[in-house]
Amino acid sequence: MATDLRISNISKIYPGCIANDNVSLQFKSGKIYALLGENGAGKSTLVKILSGVISPDNGEVFLNEKNLKLSSPLDAKKNKIGMVFQHFNLFETLSVFENLSIDATEDNKSLRVRINEILKKYNFSIDLDVPVLNLSAGQKQKVEIIRCLLRSPKVLIMDEPTSVLTEQETEELFISLKKFCDEGILIIYITHKLKEVLSLCDEVAVMRKGKVVSVSQTQNEKVETLANKMVGQKLGKIKKKIKISKNKDEIFKVKHLNFYSDDPFETNLFNLNFSVKKGECLGIAGISGNGQNELFQILSGEIITPNTSIIFRNKEIAKLNPKQRREYLMAFSPEDRISQAAVPELKIYENVALNNFKSSNFFEKGLVNERKIKEHSKKILSDFSVNTDNVELKSQFLSGGNLQKLILGRELITAPELLICYNPTWGLDVGAINYIHETLIKINDQEKSTILISTDTEELLKLSDRITVIYKGKLSKIMPSDEVTPEKLGILMGGGSID
Amino acid sequence: MEDLLIRIEKRNDVPTTLYFFTPFIAIILTIIGGGIIFYALGFNPAEALKFYFITPISNLYGFSELLLKATPLCLIAIGLSFCFKSNNWNIGAEGQLTFGAIVGGGVALLFYNQEGFYILPLIIIAGAIGGMIFALIPAILKTYFNTNEILVSLMLVYVSKLILDYLVVGPWSNPEGFNFPETRQFSDSSRMPLLFDGLRVHAGIFIALAAVLVSWFVLYKTYLGFQIKVSGLSLKTAKYAGFKGKAMILIVFMISGACAGLAGVGEITGPIGQLHRMISPDYGFTAIIVAFLGRLNPFGIIFASLVVSLTYLGAETAQIFLQIPQYTGQVFQGMILFFLLASDYLLFFKIKILNLKKNELGH
Repeated sequence: MATDLRISNISKIYPGCIANDNVSLQFKSGKIYALLGENGAGKSTLVKILSGVISPDNGEVFLNEKNLKLSSPLDAKKNKIGMVFQHFNLFETLSVFENLSIDATEDNKSLRVRINEILKKYNFSIDLDVPVLNLSAGQKQKVEIIRCLLRSPKVLIMDEPTSVLTEQETEELFISLKKFCDEGILIIYITHKLKEVLSLCDEVAVMRKGKVVSVSQTQNEKVETLANKMVGQKLGKIKKKIKISKNKDEIFKVKHLNFYSDDPFETNLFNLNFSVKKGECLGIAGISGNGQNELFQILSGEIITPNTSIIFRNKEIAKLNPKQRREYLMAFSPEDRISQAAVPELKIYENVALNNFKSSNFFEKGLVNERKIKEHSKKILSDFSVNTDNVELKSQFLSGGNLQKLILGRELITAPELLICYNPTWGLDVGAINYIHETLIKINDQEKSTILISTDTEELLKLSDRITVIYKGKLSKIMPSDEVTPEKLGILMGGGSID
Repeated sequence: MEDLLIRIEKRNDVPTTLYFFTPFIAIILTIIGGGIIFYALGFNPAEALKFYFITPISNLYGFSELLLKATPLCLIAIGLSFCFKSNNWNIGAEGQLTFGAIVGGGVALLFYNQEGFYILPLIIIAGAIGGMIFALIPAILKTYFNTNEILVSLMLVYVSKLILDYLVVGPWSNPEGFNFPETRQFSDSSRMPLLFDGLRVHAGIFIALAAVLVSWFVLYKTYLGFQIKVSGLSLKTAKYAGFKGKAMILIVFMISGACAGLAGVGEITGPIGQLHRMISPDYGFTAIIVAFLGRLNPFGIIFASLVVSLTYLGAETAQIFLQIPQYTGQVFQGMILFFLLASDYLLFFKIKILNLKKNELGH
């Protein structure tokens, strides 16, 4: 039986951002559909609406012309919409079979028969009686898929399924997905990887800033055209004057940066080498999850990697912790404002005290100098126009923009020679974004350097002097940003190559 | 058909006053719960509760006993608060207490036939160092070998008790003691001075009070205290700020161990006066309850140690007057912790019951 899924005029508005803006799409069984877009384009919101995790503010979903009320994940299950999330929902210590039997309605004996049928049909080789923690990421994903198949779904939604898979496992997954499609299951494949779209999918819908910007047949598309649609020609108003600083000194130099992790959700880094000149902004682009987290933590000193050389202002700092690196006038603004850069339960002045550099005298002879910290905090609040002057306020009551201003203020008040920031404007409103962009440009004007790791290409093109792209833990060559186009960036971010 | 869906949501802002008030709610619920248990056992609940909570402290001697038992509880809980505030789960204070008592007691036995003002301070210092060393074992294993401090510190409790057992039966047993498992009596110079004639409350209480003041100062006024606070709230932030995580773990365990060691010394040089097998009625474990009931706040811990101390006394009185086992004390301690955790859960989370109608499409 053919399946027809129609999304009609879906809108979802979060404070300060429109996640889905009047989205309408139609899917029919027998084809594999790609939903393509950058981080924050609105793909995840749409998928969460389809799987009943969140409700839309407006709009309707129709399955075979029936209007679906999806107010909880249970509703999605009942209506035969299956979903495999990027992060698995499995109990690691239970066996595969126990995991599958948790929400099954039939008895164990017939369930086992049915699972074995599925295993045989799709050529999956999984031992049902081993604990899930012994499985590889690809096998765990198969368990999730089996869980969906047991309910004979009409629609199967795969959210970034290849981000934790090896090349081999990716190929196997594609073969299975094509089989499902032949059997009449409608498949919606969410990704930001351009090559996968071209090799797997029949039709592709591209989303940007909450809107569907194009729907087309993949046979009419190329990596370049898709990249263009995904990233868009969206250059901002304030654009920095790019500095050609060939003769400037290199103040920061990284050599042989390698990182290997046992955790499948962490990305390994392979032989990164780069340098930053005085007064320059080096932009590092990439879709999130390609190693930015790990790179940031290594640059800030939270992770120390062996055999890496990091030279800052002619000193080797690769073995120093973040506090020691700050003494050499480095500053860091991590992506996670709420649980890393600041502690919401602490008062503003206590969060300011986290950047305890020697000349601050925040802690004299081991004692808290509250007066000094508060004075200093007041200065930050006014210099960086945070909309409060109450340093006793708990930070959880600051908006994202004001919290980010506080964090940047805290990091910049030491007049650092190098600021490393990771997605500094993530989730902020336009006003705060502009303020932070202007601040970052000002730093470079004062001959201080910045490294901007960002998933926002617009931001990178606006602020960087040179740009490189990180993909699967490797850096592309470093390009002057006036030679970089959004299209080129899009190709590199999606794993393609240029020239 | 309807599906009931229960959703648990975090409350964003919990008022501080309510946060410090919930321990009182837990205590009231414990008393009510205790009344119900007494009723089920066939006693008049009001009378039984009176024997439990009022009779023990209705005279001066009882009041002195209350302070006597609160002293070690308070001291250990103060130490534990350093660990718990920084996300280090030392639950082996009983072992650190025992080892502190062994080291302190060993010094006391060296001087068993001597007198001198310097003897008691030596014993106290030895006890603190003993507890500290014993607490360093789980701390070092945690920082350098990634072991779980909960398991290691707990298992070491039994190690220290067996060491004590061996010593009081073997090498340290009293040569004139007819093979009883106990050491010689300590000399008078090795005993904590009593505060009042005829009452057992001793000078150890001043050590506990000093610990309260010092810990308040360290926790709220020093860089170490700030680091402990930040690490407790977010380890990620502590790492980002560049705090020396390993050194801090070692320090909080040492503080905690020293406090437990002091409590052990207070017991053997105070009411007991020698080493034997039963130097502590699980003060080290009960102090965990005290620490949480006192909200890990030094002054809250004073109050909590008095409440929990009363459950020890109540259990003894109840045994005498109602012929029920002394272990009811532990029942009460368990109830306090249970009700405290339960009210905390309701304080930090709200439970929403959603009434979902089954999708009309199903029909």
